[in-house]
Amino acid sequence: MTEEHQPRPDEEEAEFAEESASLWRITLAPVAWAAHFVICYGLVAMSCAKGWPITEVRQGLGLFSAAVLLLIAWIGWRALRQWDVRRTGDFVNRRGRAEDRHHFLGHAAFLLAVISFIGVVFVSLPLILIEGCQ
Amino acid sequence: MTDSDPRPDPLPVATGPYPPTCESLETPVSEETQRAQAERLRRAWATPRGWRYPTAVNNTEVGKWYSTTALIFMLMAGVMALLIRAQLAVPENDLISADRFNQLFTMHGSAMMFLFAVPMFEAISILILPGMLGARDMPFPRLSAFGYWCFLIGGIFVIGSLAFDSAPRAGWFMYPPLATQDPGPGSDIWLLGLSFIEIASIAAAVELIVGTLKCRPPGMRVNLMPLYAWYVLVVGGMILFAFPPLIAGDFLFELERSFDWPFFDPTRGGDPMLWQHLFWIFGHPEVYIIFLPSVAIAAMVIPTVARRPIVGYSWIVLSAVGTGFLSFGLWVHHMFTTGLPSISLGFFSAASEAVVIPTGIQLFAFLATLMAGRVRLNLPMLWIAGALAIFIMGGLTGVMLALAPFDFQAHDTYFVVAHLHYTLFGGMVFPVMAGVYYFFPFIRKRMLSEVLGRWAFWLIFIGFNLTFLPMHLTGLRGMPRRVYTYPDDLGWSTLNLVSSAGSVVIAAGFAVFVWDLFRPKGGQPRIARNPWQAGTLEWTHDVPEQAWGVRSIPHVTTRYPLWDQPEMVARMDQGRYYLPDAQEGRRETLITSVIDAEPIQVQRVTGPTWITHLAAAFTGGAFILPTFSLYTPAIISGALAVCTIIWWLWTATARPPAPEDTRKDVGLGLNLPTYASGPASTGWWAMWITMLGDATAFASVIFGVFFYWTARPDFPPEGALHADAVLVALSCGALLLSWALTLFARRSNRRGAVTGARICLGTGAVLGSLGIAAMLGAVTALEPTTHVYPAILCALAVWIIVHAGLGTIMQLYCLAGSIFGKLTPRYDADLWNISLFWHFHALSVAVAGAVMILVPGVA
Repeated sequence: MTEEHQPRPDEEEAEFAEESASLWRITLAPVAWAAHFVICYGLVAMSCAKGWPITEVRQGLGLFSAAVLLLIAWIGWRALRQWDVRRTGDFVNRRGRAEDRHHFLGHAAFLLAVISFIGVVFVSLPLILIEGCQ
Repeated sequence: MTDSDPRPDPLPVATGPYPPTCESLETPVSEETQRAQAERLRRAWATPRGWRYPTAVNNTEVGKWYSTTALIFMLMAGVMALLIRAQLAVPENDLISADRFNQLFTMHGSAMMFLFAVPMFEAISILILPGMLGARDMPFPRLSAFGYWCFLIGGIFVIGSLAFDSAPRAGWFMYPPLATQDPGPGSDIWLLGLSFIEIASIAAAVELIVGTLKCRPPGMRVNLMPLYAWYVLVVGGMILFAFPPLIAGDFLFELERSFDWPFFDPTRGGDPMLWQHLFWIFGHPEVYIIFLPSVAIAAMVIPTVARRPIVGYSWIVLSAVGTGFLSFGLWVHHMFTTGLPSISLGFFSAASEAVVIPTGIQLFAFLATLMAGRVRLNLPMLWIAGALAIFIMGGLTGVMLALAPFDFQAHDTYFVVAHLHYTLFGGMVFPVMAGVYYFFPFIRKRMLSEVLGRWAFWLIFIGFNLTFLPMHLTGLRGMPRRVYTYPDDLGWSTLNLVSSAGSVVIAAGFAVFVWDLFRPKGGQPRIARNPWQAGTLEWTHDVPEQAWGVRSIPHVTTRYPLWDQPEMVARMDQGRYYLPDAQEGRRETLITSVIDAEPIQVQRVTGPTWITHLAAAFTGGAFILPTFSLYTPAIISGALAVCTIIWWLWTATARPPAPEDTRKDVGLGLNLPTYASGPASTGWWAMWITMLGDATAFASVIFGVFFYWTARPDFPPEGALHADAVLVALSCGALLLSWALTLFARRSNRRGAVTGARICLGTGAVLGSLGIAAMLGAVTALEPTTHVYPAILCALAVWIIVHAGLGTIMQLYCLAGSIFGKLTPRYDADLWNISLFWHFHALSVAVAGAVMILVPGVA
């Protein structure tokens, strides 16, 4: 059973305000992956089409990838804290309480950060392994 | 608040206790009251009979028509496949002509993708999602009906072209220049007919997303939603970001076909590769748009057969979201052989491999659930098992094809045909069949035959492998896709014969299935409620059938309420939960908040109507008539469509309630408002979601500008005429001012300054028209047929002009609403919705203006 309370006048806004941090966390990691992907693809495509120095571009993108990975790792760490599984021991958050919803959103953000991290590593590999435009 | 205060009273808010307590749920309801309530509900939700039956808009009826129509289109596409296989059964065959063959394979692919796979997902979701959410209906029943009628008209038009020997014939991906230069109406039929259907798909996606976000039962927080609802959200979101690039592509393509604007013609600065990019930015996510809802069906069937909650609920949710994201980074793996730089190929190869991880997580979570549970191998489970086996095979060849060097070898051979059929049969057809067997008792209150079901399964499973397993070899031996016939001495003959024989076995399996589905079942015993002993809400359905969705909307506190809240069904039946009655005789459903599903509003939903048919017919005319170059009738039809839709919105949406009707007691002491505007309302969310899709399409056109700029050295060509910068700036200024006035109108109206609001809206509309005129003036000197540069500037101008026109109509609509009492300071949903439209429009005006003014300088 959920906690007893009176309905709030602006329920929708109130809920979004309460969880705004975790909603950001959920979207941020995949968005970081997508932005990283688009920037890598776009910059390399332009460099190859316009004859910009590809080695420098690769090095720059390598640094950029490292920064994105750090960002995702940080998001993941915050999300792990929000999931709070080590303290509660509750892996599934299957109950209908506000606390379960909050932990679930943390778990969600954490797993998405993991997937996004792996995605960014994968996309960065060609930058290291393939040398030129060919 | 005094009478002299010009400010309106605040909107009523929810009052009363929430959530319900055990005592309040135990309060007895007399049998007489129960009967009277049920009778009133039954009358409010009655399905129209006789010749009025097609006016029904209830999700159960629309869902049935939708899925049956999609099934019929699928069977037609299957017959096309049989003809293709018959032609290829023996070498040097001349059963059908080469031209007919081209039409057949083009239509087979197009129909399976656009007339079966995506509509089928939406049809099934419209049918079962409200049940899963304990909602009475979706939030916009007329929108789903409109979507269905558009789909039917568009589908008959596209598939009917085969009968007139004028079907599209350039392959289902319509690559230019083959498709752009193809004589006859075939390519136009594909472009316009399928764009029309895509719009219906987006309408359904909006409906489904808003339904999932806002129509969940009280208490069903995001962590308790059925997995199917999660997948609907993910897939709905993907449709919003995947379909618009194709619509933008169709827009450019049709401008080239009809008016000779050379977007894809390299001799005048165009580039066929832009079509490939736009097509596959749609086309690859499309595969996952098809695959994920089918996995969702598996996610509903598996816990039931394993008789335990799913293992790794959050893992599955997040894998679905992750797959949705990653699937957008793969489109170029369809373009590995187009000569892109190898680093670029590397990115897409890597992303293609990465998507295996979330996909794998979902499958392993299913296997874990099965292993942890006590499985009964019933019919739905048999189909799921077949799906897993076939999909894994398709996934393995997918890993192979994602490696660029292997793809160079296998590209455009039958290996790819085999791979894609393995993923689509395993990822879509088999799970959907499982879903049909599983949900049939929910939909028709009868069971399908166990014996016939097993026959159908084994025929299709064996036939499928017989058809497509040899194709891997045929492909590796070099047989290209889309060849009409082949000589005998290449070693392909036996393999092709086996494939053709297999296709007949598949057809036999489908014949058994279709017979089972449609055979008369009147003599069969009525099923028990919840025949599979499942745990989710749709199985609280009434037997015999009732059109009201649920008798009363329950309060949910667990993921599997039928397993974990044993007293729930009896309470629902007795009407002890929310909205057990329809005192006013109107159709109503409960609107809840997005994250925690707290009840915030009672929404009156619309009932049977003919307006959706009219709107669909006129919209269809606007899309179909240009195929035959009938532009004037098409414009008239389009204008009539706009009028019909305005009439529909005016009479049926966001009407202010009567003063005594502003709030309603929904039961259990809870009292809710009947009207909402802004983010609390469903209409605002629908607008927001639609505009996301619209913005994506606009971004695709902008992508086109930058694509030409990187890919072509002559963009813009030397000495080219540019858009008139002063007029562009003037147009942008007028439109941005119009946006500001719209916002100002909303604020003044809220404050009670009605006259000020009306002046703002009127001036906004005038400025909007000025903006349109200035934009027209800015590009009139350009000659779009000469080069892609003036053509894309004109395309941007067309985009802005059409949207500014829509925005102006919206302002006038609100102005009229304010004058005739549809829109008041207190009931201002329309103004909130059009402000949202104008936010997005202002953004695109700024971007388009910047591009049109700046590109000549930087290039």
